[in-house]
Amino acid sequence: MKTQLNTSTPKAKVEKEPALKGTLASVLFLGFFLIFTWVSVYFLFLNRL
Amino acid sequence: MMNGTWKVDARDGKLAMAHIYVAFVALALGGLAGLLQVLVRSGKFELPAGISYYTILTTHGVLLGLVLTTFFIIGFQFAAVSRTAGTLSDRVRFWGWIGFWLMTIGTAITAFYILIGEASVLYTFYAPLQAHAGFYIGLTLVVVGSWISGFAMFAHYAKWKKAHPGQVSPLLTFMSVVNMVLWLVCSLGVAATVLFQLIPWSLGYVDRINVLVSRTLFWYFGHPLVYFWLLPAYMIWYAIIPKIIGGKMFSDSLARMSFILFLIFSIPVGFHHQLVEPGIDPAWKYLQVVLTFMVVIPSLMTAFSMFATFEMYGRSKGATGLFGWLRKLPWGDARFFAPFIGMLFFIPAGAGGLVNASHQLNQVVHNTIWVTGHFHLTLATTVVLTFFGGAYWLIPHLTGRVMTKAMNRLAIIQTIVWSIGMIFMSSAMHFAGLLGAPRRSAFSTYGDAPQALEWIPYQIAQAVGGTILFIGIILVLIIVTNLAFFAPKGETEFPVAEVAEQAERTPLVFENWKLWIGIAVVLILIAYTVPFIDMIQNAPPGSKGFKLW
Repeated sequence: MKTQLNTSTPKAKVEKEPALKGTLASVLFLGFFLIFTWVSVYFLFLNRL
Repeated sequence: MMNGTWKVDARDGKLAMAHIYVAFVALALGGLAGLLQVLVRSGKFELPAGISYYTILTTHGVLLGLVLTTFFIIGFQFAAVSRTAGTLSDRVRFWGWIGFWLMTIGTAITAFYILIGEASVLYTFYAPLQAHAGFYIGLTLVVVGSWISGFAMFAHYAKWKKAHPGQVSPLLTFMSVVNMVLWLVCSLGVAATVLFQLIPWSLGYVDRINVLVSRTLFWYFGHPLVYFWLLPAYMIWYAIIPKIIGGKMFSDSLARMSFILFLIFSIPVGFHHQLVEPGIDPAWKYLQVVLTFMVVIPSLMTAFSMFATFEMYGRSKGATGLFGWLRKLPWGDARFFAPFIGMLFFIPAGAGGLVNASHQLNQVVHNTIWVTGHFHLTLATTVVLTFFGGAYWLIPHLTGRVMTKAMNRLAIIQTIVWSIGMIFMSSAMHFAGLLGAPRRSAFSTYGDAPQALEWIPYQIAQAVGGTILFIGIILVLIIVTNLAFFAPKGETEFPVAEVAEQAERTPLVFENWKLWIGIAVVLILIAYTVPFIDMIQNAPPGSKGFKLW
């Protein structure tokens, strides 16, 4: 789907949100990576108790 | 309002460039010290002529952590406010020069005492390690100089606001003001410990020092210091990179909101550096850990905003598929490539930060070389690669030159060399840290203890990575020297991004400084007042100074 980012439609207010599927996937990956790292070191902590 | 052809006035450019020259001289000297450090820690090399490892360590930390950063940031911000809020008045520029000279003289005094071996107190200069008073006095001048420059920027901003009532200020000027407010509020802490504790103690006016108070004041300053480094990188990401790739900013309001959140939440968090410190009630540590996790929010907002900017641009160029937009980005442009790689490194850097700030996990990594690996990802990769990427257009813009294709190619190679070096060095530091290798200490096998012997392969990997990074420093110095003195004459753009059409209008509330600074002060008072009273009322006898080097 094409966004309307660079098209010149100054009169009509842009109603449509831009398609950001890739952004959603990227931030989800980022979130999982943060959680994975945290949990890994947490288990290391538990192992050393 | 923001015309892409605007130029920074030549007189303002000179002020900005003066800062940038000092920053890169610091990079050369501090980088050399870093190389010597990793070589010593490999166990295969000893420093000649009785030079102490700790002298080299202090040189590295102070020159790169304090001098390179502060000078580049203030130079960049002077250029940014001049570009976006108009040429500086003669008065503002005059005070900018006073700030510059105070910082430079302060740096020279501090460097002198470090190099003659009178101040090997490491970059954190914790009491009871005691340096020559000249070290602390030099640092005081650096901080006071930066305050003067900060007030000069505030005056310039106030003049713009007066001339444009009811209007939202230019984004880069707003961001520079937030960063200098953050710096001013946090550096009060280090100023307090240096002026009221360390200087009188090092001059012999008082015998003993309250160590816990001095460390607490240091970390009241030390953590927001990290954000003082990071916010200018965010300025480049939010307000400049979209223009470089040919796209638009996702949202001006989101950028301002994230900066305000940094101002509010990045200061009352210093206890997460002191989680194993006795003498602080765990409840207060817990509160500051919670506040630390609040700072994650604006960083995640920034990550979202950058992904969205890139995806919107790629899709406007016809990209399809989930990640097709990545292929549309200008990978051959060093002004984009270096900061982009910096952004990527911020993902493991941020993950490591969450570990550091969690009380139990902190016990796994506290005072290990994991922490050194962490801040070499945040500062020495994310921030520094972004600053390098910024220098590739800022320096030629200010010196009236253009970057040649050959230099651009070299800058791409530089970024790759830096990334390879840092992957070796920082990963080795992280793993060795998990195995218990200490930070700060020189090479030792600790009486051939089996645990210490496990660290040696990682320490050799650190030396390999550090050597590759030093090659990266030589490359960037070649590029910067070329851009400043030898590149062909011409016009280089100071890119400033426009906001996407569908973004919401920016509300004026972001410039309600009384409100935001008020909230920041209230949070600081909540987080620090009771523990501080406790530290003073129930203080053990103070400590005498120690010179262990």
